[in-house]
Amino acid sequence: MIELHAVTKNYGSKVAVQDLNLTIAAGELFAFLGPNGAGKTTTIKLMCGLLFPTSGTVRVGGYDLQREGDQARQLISYVPDQPYLYEKLTGREFLQFIADMYGLDPQKGRERAEAMIQLFELDDFVDDLTERYSHGMRQRTVFAGALLHDPRVLIVDEPTVGLDPRSVRLLKNLLRSEANRGMTVFLSTHSLDIAQELADRIGIVDHGRLISCGTLEALRSQASMVGSLEDVFLKLTSEPSANGKLKTDH
Amino acid sequence: MKLLESSPSITQTGSIRVNQPLLFQRLRWRLLRNSVVTGLQNSPMRLITILLCSALVWGGVYGASVWGFHDLQRQHIPFAGGIVGTLFDLLFLALSIMLIFSTGIILYSSLFSSTETTFLLSLPAAADQIFAYKYQGALMFSSWAFMLLGSPIMIAYGLVFGVPWYFYAILPLYILGFVLLPGSLGAILCLLIVNYVPRKRKQALALLCVMVVGVGLIWTYQIVRSAHAALVNSDALQELFGQLTIAQKPLVPSHWMSRGLEAAARGDLGGAMYSLTLVWANGLFLYVLAAWASMRLYRRGFNRLAEGSDLRRRYGGLWLDRLVSGLVPFAHAQTRLLVIKDFRTFRRDPAQWGQVLIFAGLLAFYGANTRRFYNEDIISRVRQSGVSLLNLTATAFLLCAYTGRFIYPMLSLEGRKFWILGLLPLRRERLLWGKFAFSATGACITAVFLVVFSDTLLGMSIQVVCLHALTVIILAVGLSGLSVGLGACMPNFRESDPSKIAVGFGGTVNLVIGLLFLLLVIGSMDVPYHFYAVATPENDTRLTGWWLAAGVCAGIGLGIAAATIPLRLGARALRRMEF
Repeated sequence: MIELHAVTKNYGSKVAVQDLNLTIAAGELFAFLGPNGAGKTTTIKLMCGLLFPTSGTVRVGGYDLQREGDQARQLISYVPDQPYLYEKLTGREFLQFIADMYGLDPQKGRERAEAMIQLFELDDFVDDLTERYSHGMRQRTVFAGALLHDPRVLIVDEPTVGLDPRSVRLLKNLLRSEANRGMTVFLSTHSLDIAQELADRIGIVDHGRLISCGTLEALRSQASMVGSLEDVFLKLTSEPSANGKLKTDH
Repeated sequence: MKLLESSPSITQTGSIRVNQPLLFQRLRWRLLRNSVVTGLQNSPMRLITILLCSALVWGGVYGASVWGFHDLQRQHIPFAGGIVGTLFDLLFLALSIMLIFSTGIILYSSLFSSTETTFLLSLPAAADQIFAYKYQGALMFSSWAFMLLGSPIMIAYGLVFGVPWYFYAILPLYILGFVLLPGSLGAILCLLIVNYVPRKRKQALALLCVMVVGVGLIWTYQIVRSAHAALVNSDALQELFGQLTIAQKPLVPSHWMSRGLEAAARGDLGGAMYSLTLVWANGLFLYVLAAWASMRLYRRGFNRLAEGSDLRRRYGGLWLDRLVSGLVPFAHAQTRLLVIKDFRTFRRDPAQWGQVLIFAGLLAFYGANTRRFYNEDIISRVRQSGVSLLNLTATAFLLCAYTGRFIYPMLSLEGRKFWILGLLPLRRERLLWGKFAFSATGACITAVFLVVFSDTLLGMSIQVVCLHALTVIILAVGLSGLSVGLGACMPNFRESDPSKIAVGFGGTVNLVIGLLFLLLVIGSMDVPYHFYAVATPENDTRLTGWWLAAGVCAGIGLGIAAATIPLRLGARALRRMEF
């Protein structure tokens, strides 16, 4: 579903992402981890078509993001770490805008919006202007918008920031069940416990290179240790990868 | 395998073809409707004040225009062609240049550095549709001044010269069609600069502005030189009209506008419609060209802008920072740090300093236009005094516009990060003092230089030069205090665009109070002297009389009040502010 082939992205003289090869299958929940400034957000922006690779190709659902971006984005929903809402729209109007943008017919759009309102428990405030929302309310509304059109690929950057424990639990269950239904979920996070709990595979990126990718067991094996994901992550990111070579279980 | 072609869930479950232009229009309409409804519910006075202020400005321009056109009529100057036609050509050419830059700068901010467009670009929205949505917003925003200032001039022209009814009917069509031309050109320039000079875009924009101002200055200088000679012989008069032919070339769009409006005024409906068609056809063509360019260049430009510079670019201290710090040696060390912070924020934002360049360009045009008339051989003492007062008033208006546009939004621009400053170990009032020192120092230096320079060229007496310098110092300090104080009283932390903060409710109130303040100060300190100088037989330029002293004292009192009262109110609001 998501294919990154030999992707490199430079910002001036700085290499943000270097020779990244990654394939994520449909229905897989992939957690993307890395220290600050490792290249996670750049990779996400490449997958959404917001940025183009300096070299290499990014494909989603078979579409090259650079040449067929509009078709690829029809399959994608992206929830950034600081999501955007129109302050002068109500939550319901925002959901309707999303439904219209993805071409849902009006009746289906209304039904899906109502389902999302129920799912994310937005009833109490969905008809207020979003300028009055708290961070958690904004985050829930954005997730409702992201899932409204039943995307094939959900790309999420730091999903749990600002959410209360109940909403975090709801979101975790939702991400897992959507992946089980066939949605590809790409999750970038610093919450290692969430990655450990939810992910089918985990990728660790450092200094723009994917230094490790696989199941938790594979990562443990690469780190030559038995422990939590936190221990494995700290060990892998504290030592330079041998010749920059990626160790993966394929 | 491509999913849209193969997947039933996407192609068959209720998906329809999206009419994106309609969708974006609906979005704009909803945003506008909700803004108006909440504005009326929460603070109807805001909307009423904005409308009243706009009506005030419109009425002022209309009154001045009626007076000016009556004067032309008294001198038996024909209302179409000749001098009036030349004036219209110059007016529309100057407005075109301003619209090119203002639309380009606003589009740069809204297309490439706003969170909204990042959101829209992550949706399956076509690049040209996002461009069109933002372009229309930028055009409305940059051309409202044109509507507000252009329509009263043209209506006054029509009423004074008794033009046919259809002149008024096609006037809005002319204005709407005309803004498309420079607006689209500005948009194309913006896309080209971002795409092809990403690493040096600041320098490219500055170079472009300098080139335009330079060419304008040379041209204006030649015009004024010819105007000087034209007072002596008729050959030179011909030369003067020759110099203005750039604005009157048949291929210059601003000329279509003035020619069409003149035709409508004469009763030549066919000629008026021909020019209107030219304006609209070319405006729409340029718009389509801009939209076509955006299809190819917008996403590419967004990407190039992101990769155009190093992720971790080093921003060191610049000599300019040290200079600015040196200009406020009287301020507390913490205040100086805040001044440098504000200055760095300002100079690293191309949208901000780009508009300062436009201000500088306007000033240069004004200076070049009036410079030659400073010669005492050309103008009488009466006019010399009048020109001197006019220069002072123009400088005061520029100060008011500068503080309203750049200083008033400064506190609001701290935005949601304001808590960082709020938690710093410094008294919150110091934030205001920092911005006040930054504004007042820069405004004082610039304004004093301008009036002393122009008065010296005019040959005004040293007393008058000192009086004018004192006036602009009072204005600079008072307007800075007003803008900083009211900016703290009515902050808008939700808005990140300083232009929008400046034209919001608080910005409008600030502008109106600032205008009243400058009229009162000039009215009490300077107008009495200039009337006295004109009325006395020998044009007595001495500063005498108790009434003059009283006017100066009143001006100083007004200045102190304008600086201290808003700052006190602002400081109180800041102390009570919760994060």
